Amino acid sequence: MTGSIRLENLSFGFTTRAGEELPVLDAIDLTIPGGGIVALIGPNGCGKSTLLRVIAGLLAPGTGTAQVDDSPIDGPDPRIGLVFQEPRLLPWRTAADNIAYPLDLAGWTEEPRATRVASLIDLVGLDAAVADSRPSELSGGTAQRVALARALALEPAVLLLDEPFSALDALSRERFDLELLRLWERAATTIVMVTHSIPEAILVADRVVVLSPRPGRVVADIAVDIPRPRTIADLDDPAAGHAAREIRAHLADPDVPGTDRASAAIEPVGTSTARPELVS
Amino acid sequence: MTRSVWLPVIGAFIIFVLVWKAIVIVTGLPPYILPAPESVGQSFVEAWLDGTFWPHFRATMVEIAIGFVVGSVLAVIAGYGLARSDLFARLASPYLVAAQAVPILALAPLLVVWFGSGLLSKVVICSLIVFFPVAIATMVGIRSVDPRLIELGRSLRATKRQILTTLEIPAALPYIFGGLRVGVTLAVVGAVVAEWAGGNIGLAVLINLAKGSLFDIPLMFATLLTLALVGIALYLAVVVAERRLVGAR
Repeated sequence: MTGSIRLENLSFGFTTRAGEELPVLDAIDLTIPGGGIVALIGPNGCGKSTLLRVIAGLLAPGTGTAQVDDSPIDGPDPRIGLVFQEPRLLPWRTAADNIAYPLDLAGWTEEPRATRVASLIDLVGLDAAVADSRPSELSGGTAQRVALARALALEPAVLLLDEPFSALDALSRERFDLELLRLWERAATTIVMVTHSIPEAILVADRVVVLSPRPGRVVADIAVDIPRPRTIADLDDPAAGHAAREIRAHLADPDVPGTDRASAAIEPVGTSTARPELVS
Repeated sequence: MTRSVWLPVIGAFIIFVLVWKAIVIVTGLPPYILPAPESVGQSFVEAWLDGTFWPHFRATMVEIAIGFVVGSVLAVIAGYGLARSDLFARLASPYLVAAQAVPILALAPLLVVWFGSGLLSKVVICSLIVFFPVAIATMVGIRSVDPRLIELGRSLRATKRQILTTLEIPAALPYIFGGLRVGVTLAVVGAVVAEWAGGNIGLAVLINLAKGSLFDIPLMFATLLTLALVGIALYLAVVVAERRLVGAR
């Protein structure tokens, strides 16, 4: 199956305004098989989003390599779709035209474009009635569905999600997580999802990769042994409890100052827009 | 538009004319200082019907149209440069501000010497006066483009040109139109200043003729009225274009 990701000895750093080197990612080794779902979890500012941007080809790694299907990522890549924390819809385009934006950039003609948009609207479970709505008229969840459809427009083998549902309330979030899993069954992509939520990570992923505080290193790679298809009740499964305890234990690594359950694991959602690694 | 929208506008105009008439009656000013509204109205209609206005109107409109388009296009390009290149902003800003600080009235005679008393000097003066507000509005608009949208474009492998045409320009368009609204009214001012600085045709030339050799003060007022209507019509044209292009967001 396509969409395998291989990161080898991957490091990344920013240069601050003062000219100092600020290491963000430190020697990340990670292999994700095609069609797998991996959740990246870690304390605030640990470089999760930066790692996602390196895989997306938006940032070039300092050292090491990132590959999809054994060919290197050397810039934004059509094999990879990206969903951000915010929907990032273009306010002057309708929902349907936002979904079609990648197709327009790629020069698709009218007819295949319309067919593709219709199938994407169906794929992400959008109400066809919102197709002509402006982003300002959409609810947060609906806008994020549009963003998801846009990310899938060019049929990527890899879907990267940067805390995609963190702006939604807890109940909607669980519903979107489960819908994402149904979509994954149909679209057959590899998924890498950055999250702050341990339950979300367990509900969605085959493996939960725990990163250390900055500079981010892989401190644990925890398998979630819950059979698919999953439901919300699976979070009460003993395997889920076991995985959660293990994730918490690694997030609260006593060797690392400033991380404990309060600040790392149970972090309030939606406070992460000002993370230093996003400021460039 | 519905009646309820236009009713207050028409009402306000009627009150304006009535106050004007009242001032004429109460103060007893002679017609060569302040002509009565009905004599201005009569002169306005006659000058349009007998063809007095037409060549002057056409000449002024051509100056405004070319000057506005040339000035706006250059200003959008320069505004983009100001927003995206620190070096260009540092080098060009002092000259732009200085050019704006010197009154166009003072500059116009010089420009007529340089570019002659024909269409070219009018276009240059109109362009100059339009340039600054449009350039600044474009700069502010481009700077305010959400960098997260640019990142989105990059993640979708948009080329530089595509980022410009599909992200930056549409995102900055409301700001650019703010500048164009100011610019289009200034273009009318620019045409008048340019015609006064040296020209033999145009509505501003007609104003000079009317108060000078013709000594037809109602005609002068009617020409002023025409200029005001030109300004309103052009402003509305920009607003309509803005509604079309910016639309609901």
